Amino acid sequence: MPATKAAHPEAMAPAVNGPTRTAPPMQPSSWKTSPRMKQYSRFGLTGWIYLLASFAAIYIVYGLGSGPEAYAQVQALLANPLVIAFHLLCLISVGFVLVRFFGLFPKAQPARIGPAKPPPQPVLKAMLYGLWAGATLVLSVILAGGIF
Amino acid sequence: MSQGHPLLKLEPLIWFLFGQGIMIGSILMTGWLLVVGVLAPLGIIPPEALGYERAHMLASNPIGRFILLGILALPLWKGAHHVRHFFIDRGYAAHDATIGGLAYLVATLGSIVSLVAVIRL
Repeated sequence: MPATKAAHPEAMAPAVNGPTRTAPPMQPSSWKTSPRMKQYSRFGLTGWIYLLASFAAIYIVYGLGSGPEAYAQVQALLANPLVIAFHLLCLISVGFVLVRFFGLFPKAQPARIGPAKPPPQPVLKAMLYGLWAGATLVLSVILAGGIF
Repeated sequence: MSQGHPLLKLEPLIWFLFGQGIMIGSILMTGWLLVVGVLAPLGIIPPEALGYERAHMLASNPIGRFILLGILALPLWKGAHHVRHFFIDRGYAAHDATIGGLAYLVATLGSIVSLVAVIRL
């Protein structure tokens, strides 16, 4: 089998330049403030919040694994109004991400995989929201002491 | 980014972890953030529900550890991937290899620390 080689970026260019050349692609100066880019940036910003939320969760579990005194310190920190506000922000971010993701997910499904066809988009969307609500309810009830 | 760059070779693994992070990580994080981050500190649920004894009992059984690992590690990959794309969207695509490499390094190290945190419970 012959070895593959990266194509030269000008491989498809004509041998001789024509009388008019297409201008190189340029981003318009307004792209950073366009509504679409703002929405992308908001979605991208949730990445920072997820990283911080994960590190906060790691800190909590490390405290739990370090014994009752360390865990009591963690609980005292969690009761700080700033930390509660941060967790509320995380909760809003998770909601924002999942609503956007559940809007995109059904549209991104293939028409069929072998003999199997995905359910209609509204059904798939309802299943995703049902999974989210169900998992959140079960986990919340367990953590809040309702079960076990 | 040149062809053969490690980030391109690892793309399937990165996308797998990112996909699990955005779907399973986010779904699990909702209940965690709601109860551990908001309701318990505000005193809306009984304090003994997340007292040391009960919290340790819930977290240290095999199913609890597995779910906890998902809550700790998976969102790191969603976070790292979107931080990388945040920089691309803001015009730093030329530095994608460096930014992406750093972001996934943070997610990798965080995942290792998560695993240690769950094992030592």
